[in-house]
Amino acid sequence: MKITYNWLKDFVDIDVSPEEIAKKLTSAGMEVEEIVYQNEHLHHVVVGKILKIERHPQADKLVVCQVDIGDKVTQIITAATNVFEGAVVPVSLPGADLVNGVKIQASKLRGVESNGMFCSGQELGIDENYYEGAGVDGILILPQDMKIGQSIEKALMLDDVVFDVGVTPNRADCMSVIGLAREVCAILGKPMKKVNLNFPIDIYSKDTVRNYVNVEVQTPNCYRYMMSAVTDVKIERSPLWMRARLNAVGIKTINTMVDITNYVLIEMGQPLHAFDQSLIGGQKIVVRQAVNGENIEALNHNSYTLDSETMVIADDNKPLVIAGVIGGMNSCVNSNTKVALFEGAIFDLKNIRVTSRKIGVRTDSSARYEKGVNVANAEVGLCRALHLVSKIGCGKIVRGIIDIASKTNDYRNITGSVKAINAILGIEIPVEKMKAILDNLGIETSVIGDKLNCKVPPYREDIENNNDLAEEIIRLYGYDVYDKIDYALFENAKVTEGENHPRIALEKIMRNILVDYGFNETINYSICPSNIAEKLLIDDERKNIIRISNPISEEISCLRTSMAHSMFSLLNYNVSVGNKDIRMFECGRVYLPKELPLKELPVEKCKLAMVILENGFDFFSLKGIIERLLSSTSVEYKIVRSKEPYLHPGISADIYAGEDKIGSFGQVHPVVAKNYEISEKALYAELDTDFLSKLSIKRYNVKPVPKFPIVERDLALVVDEDKTVEELSQAIKSACGKLFYDVKLFDIYRSENLGENKKSLAFNIKLSDENKTLTEEEVSQIINKVLKALSFRFGASLR
Amino acid sequence: MEQELYNIKENALKEINDVQDKKLLAEIKVKYLGKQGELTAILRNMRNIAPEDRPKMGAIVNEVRNALEEAFYSKEDIFAKQELEEKLQSEKVDITEPSKGIRKGSLHPIPSVLDKFIDICVSMGFTVVEGPEVESDYYNFESMNTPKNHPARDMQDSFYITENILLRTQTSAVQGRELETRKPPFKIVVPGRTYRNDSDSTHSPMFHQMEGLVVDENVSMADLKIMLSEMMKRLYGENTKIRFRPSYFPFTEPSIEVDVSCPNCAGNGCKTCKGTGFLEILGAGVVNPKVLEIAGIDSKKYRGFAFGMGIERTSMVLNSISDLRPMFKNDARFLNQMK
Repeated sequence: MKITYNWLKDFVDIDVSPEEIAKKLTSAGMEVEEIVYQNEHLHHVVVGKILKIERHPQADKLVVCQVDIGDKVTQIITAATNVFEGAVVPVSLPGADLVNGVKIQASKLRGVESNGMFCSGQELGIDENYYEGAGVDGILILPQDMKIGQSIEKALMLDDVVFDVGVTPNRADCMSVIGLAREVCAILGKPMKKVNLNFPIDIYSKDTVRNYVNVEVQTPNCYRYMMSAVTDVKIERSPLWMRARLNAVGIKTINTMVDITNYVLIEMGQPLHAFDQSLIGGQKIVVRQAVNGENIEALNHNSYTLDSETMVIADDNKPLVIAGVIGGMNSCVNSNTKVALFEGAIFDLKNIRVTSRKIGVRTDSSARYEKGVNVANAEVGLCRALHLVSKIGCGKIVRGIIDIASKTNDYRNITGSVKAINAILGIEIPVEKMKAILDNLGIETSVIGDKLNCKVPPYREDIENNNDLAEEIIRLYGYDVYDKIDYALFENAKVTEGENHPRIALEKIMRNILVDYGFNETINYSICPSNIAEKLLIDDERKNIIRISNPISEEISCLRTSMAHSMFSLLNYNVSVGNKDIRMFECGRVYLPKELPLKELPVEKCKLAMVILENGFDFFSLKGIIERLLSSTSVEYKIVRSKEPYLHPGISADIYAGEDKIGSFGQVHPVVAKNYEISEKALYAELDTDFLSKLSIKRYNVKPVPKFPIVERDLALVVDEDKTVEELSQAIKSACGKLFYDVKLFDIYRSENLGENKKSLAFNIKLSDENKTLTEEEVSQIINKVLKALSFRFGASLR
Repeated sequence: MEQELYNIKENALKEINDVQDKKLLAEIKVKYLGKQGELTAILRNMRNIAPEDRPKMGAIVNEVRNALEEAFYSKEDIFAKQELEEKLQSEKVDITEPSKGIRKGSLHPIPSVLDKFIDICVSMGFTVVEGPEVESDYYNFESMNTPKNHPARDMQDSFYITENILLRTQTSAVQGRELETRKPPFKIVVPGRTYRNDSDSTHSPMFHQMEGLVVDENVSMADLKIMLSEMMKRLYGENTKIRFRPSYFPFTEPSIEVDVSCPNCAGNGCKTCKGTGFLEILGAGVVNPKVLEIAGIDSKKYRGFAFGMGIERTSMVLNSISDLRPMFKNDARFLNQMK
């Protein structure tokens, strides 16, 4: 919300600087986000009169001018062609720093002295819309009657200070100059000046407003509808003071009637609309819900098809205005308007909000209506507009104002408690101070014991209870009071025991393990494109993907059902920018709908996912990392060939804890690698951290260290390629029986000499007896048993 | 003979003194003390000496031998030390060569700030809880005193999935869930991902928040101040100060913005804090009694206070990260700087 310092001064005697007011407003909760001094680039620019123009002796395109700048006559050289002797023009003198970056200093142009520059409208930062002549390609020619020598900022009314105030949604009343002026009054402890709402009516006419229009309100969404008529309308450029104000707050000036409605909108926070009376069919205004399929061409030149949710202002057969949002082309004031009708209305805020969203139009008017404009404000706004009509003299005001109201809002009485307010704030504010603050805010307050009896004005609908009163009091009392308080932490609260979330705690351990293995942690968007199942070859429930109804772009339009998408995408990115040796991971969620479209919230599963692309880091390196991660939990698991569609079926594994699949890892499927444009050597893994964090604490079952020596034997066994290390190890273990201590594979050898499809596996077997030292004979017996068993079950032979 | 012994001693000591080579020293040692050595030869001749002179001569022989042995030892010692010194010198490595075997990775700057903040909160008696990221409109807004068509909904552009299901716009969404199920008094914090329909250089459609909620009988705005003050000191450093500014959230009343003194310039004003000396880090306030009532908690008996912190901003300040966007790009050249 933009307002100006001078505009505020219309309502409060401000005796502090603009910076000071900005600071105070901010600390009271009306954050001043920007202060702009209109004259920032107008210092040393004055009104001057060209007395004499002569040719430049050295240049054909330049002229030498003698210019009266009030206190003296100075010489200025110009190339402008639209200047003439006697012209009144803006003159920038040495020291001026213009808005286009030009800095003025005295200099010589082709040997002749020049002590300044004439300015165009553009160089002063204004356009034709603001000031006649400011848009021409040349010097701005000012009216002859301007006082010579005065500063241009005064002459063109560019001497205001503009504040951009961030008004919070609960303070609809501060979406206006008057609302913020009330805050300034409360802050400075000053009285509010009276707003001039007086206007003379046209006593020479017997007409009343009903001679020009009749109003019928047919919808409950209109709380109040007021209308008055102005005859002998003069549609012309508004006076400079009005244009200056509107220009300062960024509103385009159009003509007297439209400018008045906008002026009141900013000043009083009351949206108004001005109709051309002759364009209203049947001299009748009907406030109603639209008929489905009705059309209107709005002032933004767009056409809208309406439905019955939308409220319109219509005449006897067509909609004229989309109520509260935007006017129509068919009935607005225009250069031919003779009689204007001013509307001041109050609408249901939800209805306006819904309409504004639906048609995608947000205006200064809808922005105020949807936050709530109080019913009393319509009258204030309308009267202020009529006052301005008479002040400017752009029309005659017809007797009578139509006023149809279905709602009123009056002062409300609420009761607060001094004790409760101080308990909320945790400090002691004296009751007199509380009363003074509330009174200053326009909340008339009387104190009876602990009770605060408050009369809340209609524009403060946000104030209902002790918490609301506490906020009003503390924001004006000043939050810096808390800088001084000093007592023990949680002195007024019960002692509670802190506890981390079990999954977050487990993730922290695993994340740190991975960091120690050289992994970078990443954070990827959980939102993804819609085609990830396709790219990952997924054909199970994970292809049911949740779609956002209003996405920013297709790239982030759905919720991921697999972490693999994020991991492969980030690998692609990193490789594309030349990064090498990638080891990365993320702890995040996947989102699995129970049905689509969503009827209930989806299942959100927490996963730890990894991606690796590095020379020498293979499936078994990754397996080691997985084993290390799982060893930080008490999980008992087995691995089987993976069924994950996006993994290479021969170089991947699924991890099971009992019946539950708790993860998988392996090399990327070559087709998926192609889809993501990543190397076929890329490795991926994911673990179900939800499952793992629900397991019991890890316990160890420690056995005594063997008392007698351990005997070792190495066996190199030739077997078919399809025999696994796991099954051979198990067979060795069971053949060794009670004497088994450990078995480890230490070498794999493949050669043509072994025969086709054969490999040699070298195992180191450890045997031990807990009661005695094993004899050579006993060991040989066991080893023979092992060989027999392996030969029988797997066709293994000693190499 | 006595003279002969002293000559041997003198010559030997001179030779030992002059020798520059370990091998020559060994030869000299053999020459004097070896089985065929000069001193040994004299010893062998002892039997030719008159018995009464033997003790005296024996003493002189011992004296000479001791002197020589000591001279040899000390010379050998010098050579040994020299040799060791040479060996150590020759084995010297360039200690600036890179380390081997260990490759350190990095935590991402967002979760690592969350780790830190979670530890702080747990140590202060908070329980860490979570909630769904795909959330009902009810918990995200309505239970937070923001009914449909409430103007405050404009403060947050939401990603909707259906009319009543959306991506949560704030971790406050978990407040309603916890208020319904927990019995006061309690202290909880909620870390997590949040989403808003906003994407530019300073806004990411996905970002992180951490919400805190305390519900008890006698807590107040002053407790909030003391608690946040302590938390921010633990997070940003012992000299950190905080200040309150009025603000508005539908679920707190009074509502405040909490500014934290800039850790980069100790509040003197710098680029990070745009010269103000303070950073806008948190929103907070006293829980609106309507929020308690919506969840079925007696607002006459219980009061609460709550805070919500943006994690990205905090992480950027703590790690001197100037741009939000690389946080979600996951470029190794960015991430490796957090090693």
